[in-house]
Amino acid sequence: MTGWLDVPRGWLDAFGEIARFGSRVAGLVYSGRVLRYFGESLRQAGILILGSALVIWAFVFILGLQCGVIGAYFNRSIGAPSLAGLFSAYCDLREGLPYAFGYILSAKVGTGIVAELGAMRISDEIDALEVMGIQPVTFLAATRLLGAWIAIPFLYLVGVGVAYFASYLAVVDQVGDVSSGGYLLVFWTYQDFVDVLFSLAKGMVMTTVIVLVGCYYGYTASGGPVGVGTATAKSMVVNIIMVHIIGMLGTFMFYGANPRAPIGG
Amino acid sequence: MMILTARTIVSAVRPPYPYGEELVGQFLFVLKLSWFPMTISTFALCLGAPGLQAAGILSLFGNLDRLGGFFVVTAVRFIGPIVTAAVVAGVAGTAITADLGARKIREELDALQVLGVDPIKNLVVPRFLALMVITGLLDIFAVVFGMSAGIAAELLYHQPLGGFFATLFANALITDLAASVTMCSMFGAIIAVVCCYKGMTASGGPAGVGRAVNQAVVIAFMGVFAFLYVFTTVLLATNPELQAIR
Repeated sequence: MTGWLDVPRGWLDAFGEIARFGSRVAGLVYSGRVLRYFGESLRQAGILILGSALVIWAFVFILGLQCGVIGAYFNRSIGAPSLAGLFSAYCDLREGLPYAFGYILSAKVGTGIVAELGAMRISDEIDALEVMGIQPVTFLAATRLLGAWIAIPFLYLVGVGVAYFASYLAVVDQVGDVSSGGYLLVFWTYQDFVDVLFSLAKGMVMTTVIVLVGCYYGYTASGGPVGVGTATAKSMVVNIIMVHIIGMLGTFMFYGANPRAPIGG
Repeated sequence: MMILTARTIVSAVRPPYPYGEELVGQFLFVLKLSWFPMTISTFALCLGAPGLQAAGILSLFGNLDRLGGFFVVTAVRFIGPIVTAAVVAGVAGTAITADLGARKIREELDALQVLGVDPIKNLVVPRFLALMVITGLLDIFAVVFGMSAGIAAELLYHQPLGGFFATLFANALITDLAASVTMCSMFGAIIAVVCCYKGMTASGGPAGVGRAVNQAVVIAFMGVFAFLYVFTTVLLATNPELQAIR
């Protein structure tokens, strides 16, 4: 049976190992050695788009609806229903979207990678790769990281659009306190291109961490079919914590000193 | 999954009740797994999203004391349930799926049935009840840590805390808290059913359990968020007293 302190202790243990493994994989990508398997990277990017895009956008859509409903009622409560766009601009772009993206990415992509690589490790396919003279870390982990870096920015930006559309539906069509033009005026006033970049930066850091955590747990899985399941569950714990910490640090870094709102001088 | 839900509820209320010990075990298991991610996640999310962003806006208007009222809206109604659901689904749900999936792969579930032990009554029902209770209780935990993140945000902006607490308690309604806890109990039920179902139907060798965990957590997230949206809409539309800032 697990003890009360097992989770934090295991997390600290894993953190160093993941950092070492992750820096090795990122080094392989940066040094360009992954380009030998560029076709595999493209294939991974394709799998990511075909397999995960719809799930990610559906999740982000629900988040946008939620942001819109909360924002519409909150702004009605302070007597400024026409400013609902402010809340949904902040909730969608700055905060909600990176977190929702991190959740669904760690659920769909992160655990998927663990299950896939773990199964390969258990059935000795990774050792077979090594025997064939292919570096398994490069071929399996680095290509996945590069594939995610290729595909995810586009998925993320489309996700931003999906969330905007959902918030619009919720505020204008569902609650209906504000007209379409009034909503969009406030909505577009309270964001600019830099906010999109900040949000994308948060999302990409989360993506990198999630893919690396997934690769680490899959690559080091052991203990038969049961071990793969346990490794998948463990990767989820680390991912959930890391997503929140990255989100908080991103907010501190980007908005901590400067709220970046067009109010006052 | 609907059939599993119905059978779980029926066998939970129909005597005999052999699952008491397993219920306590699962309860403690989930609590031990979840308390640490819960603390960090709620604090980080509440400090970043409503804390700093809203405090930034409010400090431009010079009314940082209103942050307390804003925290009732966000931390209790929105972020507490979301983080609780994400942590319970991600941490406890995956553990349950991995556990049950492992038993299914090793054919322990079939062995139980041969021995005349009903796996639904002895495995699913205790997990279902334990998750329902613990998710509701963890929501209180989330709200407490969310509030402490709000206090931290006020302190970061060098504000006295009196205004924060004044608007916090003026706006806090029992309806909000009760709705939040009820919502989280429902989340627990959704997560438990999805994860147990996926675990008990795992198949296909080593990749099977991993894939079952993957699908379980995705379905649980989607189900929970869809439920969250419907519940919030109904709650806010039917309770006009929540729509006034005091």
